[in-house]
Amino acid sequence: MSVFAVEIFLVLLGVGLLCLEALLPSVTRRAIAALSLGGTALALVLFAFADTSAAALPAFVQPFHQLDSLALFYKGFALVATLAVLWLTVENRGYLERHCPEGRHGEMFSLPPLVCAGMMWMASAKDLMTVFVCLELVTVSFYVLVAFARKSSLVLEAGVKYLILGALSTGVLVYGIAWTYGVTDSMSFDGISAALADPETPRRGALLGAAFLLAGLGFKVAAAPFHIWVPDVYQGAPLPVTTFLSVGSKAAGFVVLSRVVAAFTAAESLIRTEITTLLLIAGAATILLGSLPALFQTSVKRLLAYSSISHAGYLLLALAAAPTARHDLSSAGVTAFYLGTYLPMTVLGFLVLSVLRQNGVGDDLRDLAGLGRRQPFLALAATLGFASLAGLPLTAGFMGKLLVFLGLVDHAAWAALTCAVIGAAAGFYYYLRPVLAMYSGSPATAEPIKLSTATRAVLFALVAAIIVIGVYPRSLQAPLKSAGTTAVHASH
Amino acid sequence: MITLNHYLIVSGLLFSLGLAGVVARRNILIIYMCLEMMLSAANLTLVAFTRFHVTDGLPDFTAQSLVFFTITVAAAEVAVGLAIIVALYRTKRSVETESVTQLQG
Repeated sequence: MSVFAVEIFLVLLGVGLLCLEALLPSVTRRAIAALSLGGTALALVLFAFADTSAAALPAFVQPFHQLDSLALFYKGFALVATLAVLWLTVENRGYLERHCPEGRHGEMFSLPPLVCAGMMWMASAKDLMTVFVCLELVTVSFYVLVAFARKSSLVLEAGVKYLILGALSTGVLVYGIAWTYGVTDSMSFDGISAALADPETPRRGALLGAAFLLAGLGFKVAAAPFHIWVPDVYQGAPLPVTTFLSVGSKAAGFVVLSRVVAAFTAAESLIRTEITTLLLIAGAATILLGSLPALFQTSVKRLLAYSSISHAGYLLLALAAAPTARHDLSSAGVTAFYLGTYLPMTVLGFLVLSVLRQNGVGDDLRDLAGLGRRQPFLALAATLGFASLAGLPLTAGFMGKLLVFLGLVDHAAWAALTCAVIGAAAGFYYYLRPVLAMYSGSPATAEPIKLSTATRAVLFALVAAIIVIGVYPRSLQAPLKSAGTTAVHASH
Repeated sequence: MITLNHYLIVSGLLFSLGLAGVVARRNILIIYMCLEMMLSAANLTLVAFTRFHVTDGLPDFTAQSLVFFTITVAAAEVAVGLAIIVALYRTKRSVETESVTQLQG
């Protein structure tokens, strides 16, 4: 069974669930949730045992599909992220029932598998056309997901803002694709990097195309100066969707960015220095514009939104830095590694907020007061999550940041490194504020919060992932290794 | 004689007009129209480039097919987008940008 079959299975699952919800109103929400979760988990199992050789793909997709270790890593990432989001949707059912028309929110379970298929496909893209179609499959599904709980005016507002800025980024992206194609006469990444190595290719046109292309992708990954939509949309959207945006949409943007940047900055490329400088400036600015406003946030949800912006900055810096001899990962490999560490800690943060909301606790810093006494396990898990987001040693977040910093040192990008260090220092302050709130102050009610066994198990798994990656980073590095070596060889 | 540059200038103008509209207008429906104009400008650029990139006497059809994908995707985007804007109108009785300023911090 090929990886392609798993993707087809996910599409069929999503469409099937949509039809089920629309045609058979008697099907309970519980059944749809179970089918969606079960189906995605089955897809993950199938993916783990799938034949990952390119020869196993059907002949008609082979010219458009690559299965290097980077693609496989992002495919696994998409499946795990989707499963986590579906679980969060189950956790948030109370909120969704209140805010969806007639309490029906089946689409919240049928759209994520479609998004997942889009993300998996995108990871294998070899040309800009596949990238565009997959990116739009993901983005249009997200328009619906963000605005779905439309009885809440905040959700609608977030939906409209996301829609306008998402559509704007699509326009900019297509214009960039058109110019890149016009200058290089090619849609495929291989063709583009070959054309850019040719000194007869018009340099200014190539730069124009690259600038529009990167700007369009910058919207998707929330890079400065295209990050302004993030705080509002993250705050307004339902929690599971915010998580999906923060993890899934970001990973989707970065896998495409990795491919595009690799094509633009190949060894002989005419525009290599410009693109690298652009990425360094954008990354440093993103870190500062994400971290500094985060210092003044009182809503934890909004705090996580700004945190998500500053993490996008680190990811951009990881892409900009040249591969180093210190480890066997390429720049794209370091980016993927960072995203791998980012997934468990972000999901953990949002899962804690979901549990609190189900128990009637708000997401303001003051509402967290005394949580350490009301629910010690939840508070401990949240503490670990925030410590990892800040980058405390022996947690996953530390390893990610360390690799980015090492890359910048070897690249001698001192200005960008300074901004990254300032951002990390600010991070220690704003991530430890909620922790302080949890363990100091007295709770409004002393009533303990109950955790279901399943929630406990998921919390435990996320905490375990954070610690295992932090203590033994090889576990996450190993699947990325060959991506690293092939890319390094290609660039020499 | 109309050359590639003429097409590129027209499509560039169309794109800038769309972008200016998105930035300057206050009505969400008009902003959405301007966004569609930007997509059309990108399509025009693509078609112009493919038409002038002739191999064996034929335009480059692989790149031209992206235009059809863009048109289809734009249609899907409009369907979803208008649904969201209608939902907004039903709740707020307005589609001006001033009606979406609740989220701040």
